[in-house]
Amino acid sequence: MEGFTGKRVGSSFALTEEECRRVHAAVVRILEKGGMRCDDERAAKLYEQAGCTLEDDGRLVKIPEQVVADAFTTCPSGFTIHGREPKNDVAIGTGEVHFATMTGRYIRDVRTGERRKATRQDAVEGARMADALENVHGLYKSVMWIYDEPKIINSQILVGEMMKNTTKGMTWVYNTGAPNEIPDLVKLWQIAAGGAEALRERPHVLGHVIVNPPRVIDVNYTDWMIGFADAGIPITVYSATMAGATGPATLAGMMVQVIAETVALVVLAQAYKPGHPLCFCSFNPSMDMRTGLWSFGNPEYSTLGTGIAAMARYYGVPCVAFGNTDSCDTDQQAAYEKAMVLFNYALAGISLTWTLSGTAGFNFCAWDQMVVDNEVAAFVGHYLKGIRVDDERLSEETILKVGPLPGSYMHEEHTRRWYRDEFLMPELSNREFFETWERGHTELQEKAKQKALEILDTHESPVPGEVQDEIDEYLAHVRRRDVE
Amino acid sequence: MAEHTEYFDRVAQAVVDCDKDTCLRLLDEGGDIDPLEILEKGLGKGIRRIGDDFGAGRVFLPELIGAADVMKAGVAVLDERIKASGRARESLGKIVIGTVRGDIHDIGKSVVASMLQANGYDVVDLGIDVDEAEFVRVAQEEKAACVGLSSLLTLQIENMGVVIEKLKDAGIRDQVKVIVGGAPVTQEFADEIGADAVGYDAADAVAKMKTLLGH
Repeated sequence: MEGFTGKRVGSSFALTEEECRRVHAAVVRILEKGGMRCDDERAAKLYEQAGCTLEDDGRLVKIPEQVVADAFTTCPSGFTIHGREPKNDVAIGTGEVHFATMTGRYIRDVRTGERRKATRQDAVEGARMADALENVHGLYKSVMWIYDEPKIINSQILVGEMMKNTTKGMTWVYNTGAPNEIPDLVKLWQIAAGGAEALRERPHVLGHVIVNPPRVIDVNYTDWMIGFADAGIPITVYSATMAGATGPATLAGMMVQVIAETVALVVLAQAYKPGHPLCFCSFNPSMDMRTGLWSFGNPEYSTLGTGIAAMARYYGVPCVAFGNTDSCDTDQQAAYEKAMVLFNYALAGISLTWTLSGTAGFNFCAWDQMVVDNEVAAFVGHYLKGIRVDDERLSEETILKVGPLPGSYMHEEHTRRWYRDEFLMPELSNREFFETWERGHTELQEKAKQKALEILDTHESPVPGEVQDEIDEYLAHVRRRDVE
Repeated sequence: MAEHTEYFDRVAQAVVDCDKDTCLRLLDEGGDIDPLEILEKGLGKGIRRIGDDFGAGRVFLPELIGAADVMKAGVAVLDERIKASGRARESLGKIVIGTVRGDIHDIGKSVVASMLQANGYDVVDLGIDVDEAEFVRVAQEEKAACVGLSSLLTLQIENMGVVIEKLKDAGIRDQVKVIVGGAPVTQEFADEIGADAVGYDAADAVAKMKTLLGH
């Protein structure tokens, strides 16, 4: 699946190359002098094998510069999150910009506008919506949580329904911590791929491995790192460090800590499985000092994000990101915050941003929002092209031919040839003059809702029946084992 | 008493300025002033001013936390002197507080603990990821007036209901108030599980505590 490309991809970052070098030097000092607290014995052993020193009975790991350098030499510069149909393959780290869905603790019902807890049916619909929209290149959890299913098998049902309703790639972060969560999800991904070997050859999942900030390697994410690596699933490594709370209040200081934490995970992952594909991720808000909550809408968030993207480029690995707004309503704040984040990321060449459908931080997902975001993605993608300059586009011949007034380009074949290519034709955004608009128009939100309903009515799952059946069988087995 | 007013104001200012060094130096210099008075008219005045400033949006969390830290250090010094003089500091009640099982978020809970302490309550902070049984055990042991339950995770707040059930099982629910808090905690949820109050932020928690414990 072709993402958005263009000469403005990778044209703007929050750090210069020289500043990246300075951050790296500070990262090295932090990892050598301060190290990481390591709560996992397997991780401690891996660090030791890689050449790190263990102190405090194996609970503190100090990572030398050479170990860091060695780890990056085995990292691939890019990888693919495969679709379960090749047309949905997404290249990470090649300069293409992609967008994927976000999730929400709750859902804003597209039919009624009601804010409520998500159900299994919502999980299905979210995946179908994502499968249908052209600027959705992948999925995060179609809903965060399925409230009408038991906790102990929630992740399994969510993944199962996603696998039954789309062939686009997905991403996964730890959800319930249920004892069988990892093996069950791996099994479901294998069934969806067509077997364990098929998943290894064409992994359609990106797995998240995270540090507990500040600077703790924990048991839980070590479990996930091993699970993903063993199954052949590429990973994104990062920390959810929050400026002013679990990380420094200076953005430069945040870069030092966040990158130190990220690099520690790179070392761990490459120690476990040299050559395993990985990428960095932007997920570092500042703390709003009035509420104590994280802010994804404030400029610090994506500023740090493009700093992380700069550091990823410095180390030669790709970068992905989360994008959202803090507004709890579908309003101007939501629009300007999200648009700025997405635009910022795209200019930094971030390969994949989870954003479509998300609203109000992580509070809500909504299918009409996914439709609006689909259009925003198109805008951002178009900006990335900049002005394409070549002999044909310079149009000297046509300019001379049309001549001064009364010449007009409206009649030219040249115009017919080029306008669809060069101009964006937005589906939802108003382009009418006021008086026309006043005579009769449909609100943006209503247009988005109508499109969402149309998709839900007509878009069928592309997943073959046999695969859906096999998934259902496995989910039934899981339910018998854990619930009944 | 007009005596020492200027001194008390300087102590209060040190709290407002989050200046631990100055505060401790001042306490050192004020060794022959009634420690209970310094507590009320100096430290107490400072922390109340910061609380007002925070509520009015003039200062924010870092100042609130910084001032509470100064208060804590000052109280520790004054407590020694109060004990040595054979008197007791009036405690408005003992509160057992913690973040529920499955949740390691601690900043909000710690800010509430600090503010409660600063406002005259004795706080036993159990930390994070605290088992339901542990809340009950310590509440019993400490003869707590109130248990405070914090969580930021939508999926873990249900553990607050379990704590309340266990308080009932232990036969102490009538003697122990329960206050709950954290971003996903609503009045509706509190009513569902039978909690006595919701603290929407640190200042609100203090206000609700005063109402709950009848001050």
